[in-house]
Amino acid sequence: MYSHMMLLSLILLPFPAGILVCFAGKRKHLLAACFTCLECIFMGCLFLGQVLPEVELSAALPKLCGFGLQFVLDGFRGVFALIATFMWAMVTLLSAQYFQGKEQVGRFYLFLLWTLGATLGVFLSADLMTTFIFFEVMSFTSYVWVTQEETAEAISAAKTYLAIAVIGGLTMLMGIFMLSYRYQTLSIEALLEISPKDSYTWIAGLCILFGFAAKAGAFPVHIWLPKAHPVAPAPASALLSGILTKTGIYGVLILSCRLFHNDRDWGFLILVLGVITMFLGALLAVFSIDLKRTLACSSMSQIGFILVGIGMQDLLGEENQLALNGTMLHMMNHSLIKLVLFMAAGVIYVNAHSLDLNKLRGFGVRKPFLKLSFLTGALAIGGVPFFGGYISKTLLHESILEYGGGFVFAIVEWIFLLSGGMTLAYMSKLFLTIFIEKNTDTLLQEKYDTQRSYMTLPTKFAMGISTLILFLFGLFPNTLMLPTARLGEKFLAAEYTEYEAVHFFSPENLKGAGISLLLAVFIYLLFIRKALMKQGQHRMLWPSWLDLETLVYRPVLLKILPLLFGILCRLLDCFVDSLVVLFRKTLYKDTPLPHERPEGSALSDFLGGVCNLWQRFANATYRKDSPTQRDYVHEFALKLFAFKESNFIISRSLSFGLLLFCVGLCLTLWYIIL
Amino acid sequence: MEQYLFFLTILFPILGACLIPFLPYRRRTDMLIYLEFLCLVTSALVLTLLYLSPQGTYTLFRFNSRLSVSFHLDAMGKLFGAMVAFLWPLAVLYSFEYMKHESNEKSFFLFYIVTYGVTLGIAFSENIVTLYFFFEALSLVTLPLVMHTRTREAILASRTYLYYMIGGAAFAFIGMVFVLTYGTTASFLPGGVMDLAKIGNRTNVIYLVYILSFFGFGIKTAVWPFSNWLPKAGVAPTPVTALLHAVAVVNTGAFAVMRITYYSFGADYLRGSFAQYTVMGFVLFTIVYGCSRALKETHLKRRLAWSTVSNLSYILFGVVLMTPLGLTGALCHMLFHSFMKITSFFCAGSVIYKTGKNYIHELDGLGRRMPKIFILFAISAFALMGVPGLAGFVSKWSLAYAAIDSREPLAYIGVGCLLVSALLTAIYMVTILVRAFFPGKDFAYSSLQDITDPNWYMLLPLFVFAAVVIFFGIHPAPVLELLASISGV
Repeated sequence: MYSHMMLLSLILLPFPAGILVCFAGKRKHLLAACFTCLECIFMGCLFLGQVLPEVELSAALPKLCGFGLQFVLDGFRGVFALIATFMWAMVTLLSAQYFQGKEQVGRFYLFLLWTLGATLGVFLSADLMTTFIFFEVMSFTSYVWVTQEETAEAISAAKTYLAIAVIGGLTMLMGIFMLSYRYQTLSIEALLEISPKDSYTWIAGLCILFGFAAKAGAFPVHIWLPKAHPVAPAPASALLSGILTKTGIYGVLILSCRLFHNDRDWGFLILVLGVITMFLGALLAVFSIDLKRTLACSSMSQIGFILVGIGMQDLLGEENQLALNGTMLHMMNHSLIKLVLFMAAGVIYVNAHSLDLNKLRGFGVRKPFLKLSFLTGALAIGGVPFFGGYISKTLLHESILEYGGGFVFAIVEWIFLLSGGMTLAYMSKLFLTIFIEKNTDTLLQEKYDTQRSYMTLPTKFAMGISTLILFLFGLFPNTLMLPTARLGEKFLAAEYTEYEAVHFFSPENLKGAGISLLLAVFIYLLFIRKALMKQGQHRMLWPSWLDLETLVYRPVLLKILPLLFGILCRLLDCFVDSLVVLFRKTLYKDTPLPHERPEGSALSDFLGGVCNLWQRFANATYRKDSPTQRDYVHEFALKLFAFKESNFIISRSLSFGLLLFCVGLCLTLWYIIL
Repeated sequence: MEQYLFFLTILFPILGACLIPFLPYRRRTDMLIYLEFLCLVTSALVLTLLYLSPQGTYTLFRFNSRLSVSFHLDAMGKLFGAMVAFLWPLAVLYSFEYMKHESNEKSFFLFYIVTYGVTLGIAFSENIVTLYFFFEALSLVTLPLVMHTRTREAILASRTYLYYMIGGAAFAFIGMVFVLTYGTTASFLPGGVMDLAKIGNRTNVIYLVYILSFFGFGIKTAVWPFSNWLPKAGVAPTPVTALLHAVAVVNTGAFAVMRITYYSFGADYLRGSFAQYTVMGFVLFTIVYGCSRALKETHLKRRLAWSTVSNLSYILFGVVLMTPLGLTGALCHMLFHSFMKITSFFCAGSVIYKTGKNYIHELDGLGRRMPKIFILFAISAFALMGVPGLAGFVSKWSLAYAAIDSREPLAYIGVGCLLVSALLTAIYMVTILVRAFFPGKDFAYSSLQDITDPNWYMLLPLFVFAAVVIFFGIHPAPVLELLASISGV
């Protein structure tokens, strides 16, 4: 009972705690660090007490938000909840140094803690509705991380992030809605029993996949990732890269291991997405000359590796042990590696105020602690033997080999190895540039070399612990790593019963790593050093127009569609109003008011007009030499007036009367005589 | 006794409001006390009525044996009455502060409170004649409110308002006459009153008349092509736009359409007919159209007004599904949308009141200066988008569920429209928030030096409404059960 309450409070407490920290004045950093560390410790206790003895812990808040919130803590979820709290604890320790003297720190902590709650909610959710609710909350709260610095790039990246999150979220909601209507359940466990799978299920599944893949950063909805991670503050990028992308993967796993369990078509789809993402990410990273952008592209590439593993799980069917363990381990490794690397990037940025590799050259030559940490991360992500990444990548590689599958899979394998090589190549680029080579600007190099207190104590502690854990995991694959991976087997719906021992350091397993290593050397020496660098400086050779966002998404969504709908709306908008106007101007027109002439009459106006025209004609032709300017309208009007006036006078005079009398008399006489 | 209670409830605010210009106030707050007295007493009367829930029909006066103005209290009327009774006192409190800077406030409050009585009349109306009577009365008493500022723009807007309303009345009148001719009674009865024997082979005519009366009553809900009046009427003072043109007036339109669809023509009679498909087509179009227009709009209040146009069509979408679940969804969205939209309008009003800024591009950086207002606005914006945990999500979900459950192909398209509209809503609401909260690194906050949150007259109603939005979002089960029992699921 107590553990239920504890689970619920671990998920929900960050929300009030965030508000508390936000208004905590100068003790913000301390309070946030304490809170996240406690959260991490309690999660660890819960994990050790409940998950390791293989007890599942479920908790629910019935009827909340309409459907009730259901949570469950099992092996897989426990591992990732623990990793999440651990990363948050480490990152808050770093934040104290990173945000020294910056504005709006309260806001950052508020959303940092809220996102912690939301992320835990996602990882511990037991039904899709709960997942969705916390997923949405997470998308919106992490938006603030991206926009935190409020620079132009940050705001633009945040917009992209939000757009993708909102579109993804809504599409996902549509899919969840379809599932819920058809199967009357959203419980993640119950999704396993769903059959048969027809096009309806597929449409629903694809909708949900879109939402989760967008968060994970899979091609073709990866566009937010290389933009958003570099502009966010380093503590946030570590989390964005290390754990938030994993929530997307978590969703993809729900689909692949539950709804489409062992469905080959689905597996192939995920595999193809994975291969493209893996290769594209690595390629972007090779070309990148910005520290954090390289790491972000690297995250994208690693997500591709994970997706390959997920795809292989479904393709291999019941014998997917290697793929399954490899996926889980690579997820875990990648989180820990990116934590170390992004924290290192944060430290570098705080001291050097730049992320440009050319400016950072030689920064870490005299900083052994940072150098070792970064090296551990770089070797681990590069898949060098005796480091974490090697284990998971070997498992994934083995699973591809296990499937066989002919020509297509031979290509997949080679792209896998090539991407592995590229990973090592771009990590060598980063490491050699920052930690080995010396800057050509000797003044700057001297400044870098004399920096002594470049890390505060909490930062050092966080870096040390993270690096140590990462290192230990790589060193003891069979005692630490594989047992952890086995914890996730129930969630990943493993069906086998026997365990094969994996010989990680056997020659055939080392061969894959060896090929990658060789490729890495070639790529680094021949491509990065020869083609991309000039006179010892990195050059940005990736054409700026070659970008899915500026090439396709923005023109379509912001230019073409609004134009079409705009025209349509304009037309429809004036429909009724124009009817009214039409009637007002035609049938229901007001009778015109009588027009009073100031002078003259219609006849005089007309005659005057004709004369005026004639005058203009004459002026233009035969009277060019002595043109006349007379207003005949006015003259005729005056004449008319005079005429009327004299008529009036005449008609009233005696003589006019006598005259008329005479005329009348004459006419009478004329009549009588005739 | 209960008979008089009905009349008193409706007439008390109307008669009480007529005294507003003639009472001697020593201070301005005296007027507030009188206004709140009127509203609270009326609300108390409504609650008494709901508590007693008398079952009979009470006639105020009778034209002939079939036509009468009479009242009755059923579940749907209760819901609508309760909603109105909750909103009005709070809205008056807000308006009192808002109108401080405006002239002619006595006449404003006169009509504002008369509207309360008329709206209650619609809620309690027993038959289509009473509904029509109060419906027309509502158009007329709200006209001076639209015209309130007396600017050229306001007069033009009120003329548009009048044209649309009178046009609607003509259509509604046709519907009323047909219901009287071909129905067994003029009263509203669940399941409809159409007399199949009398109709004989004139079914298509009845369907056509339904379409006409749908648009007649639906003009108040601004269904396309009769949607233009609503954004234009945004020139009225914000309390009018918020309470009347986002809640009371437009919801009476939706309420009337519910009445004629489910209680006069009968949902079973209409389901599957061309009448249903025609009106549903218009409604679906309005959903997307309203959102697209809101997206293009740069004037804050007009953007919200277009958003209202779209959201009202959500309600109508639920109504024209012609299923009990559809009615549940419609009632749910009617109730929740009222709270969400009045919150966002009141926030917009507070911004206008405090800064005089009307356009969205002028809102840069105000989030820091007016944090309470913009956090409340954010809550309403997220609720309108349908973020889970807030009210909008619940009602949209029940609407979409009802649509899928109805198994009409057009309703499936409707779910798609809801989705597109949610996306557009997200864009047009979030851009406002982004401007307010994240104006950019170099933004000069000094230009907004003396701007602060408004006083509690304005904040109290807002906090209450936002709390309701959150409460319904987190714990919607009781409300949903109540609504399901109203619509007879």
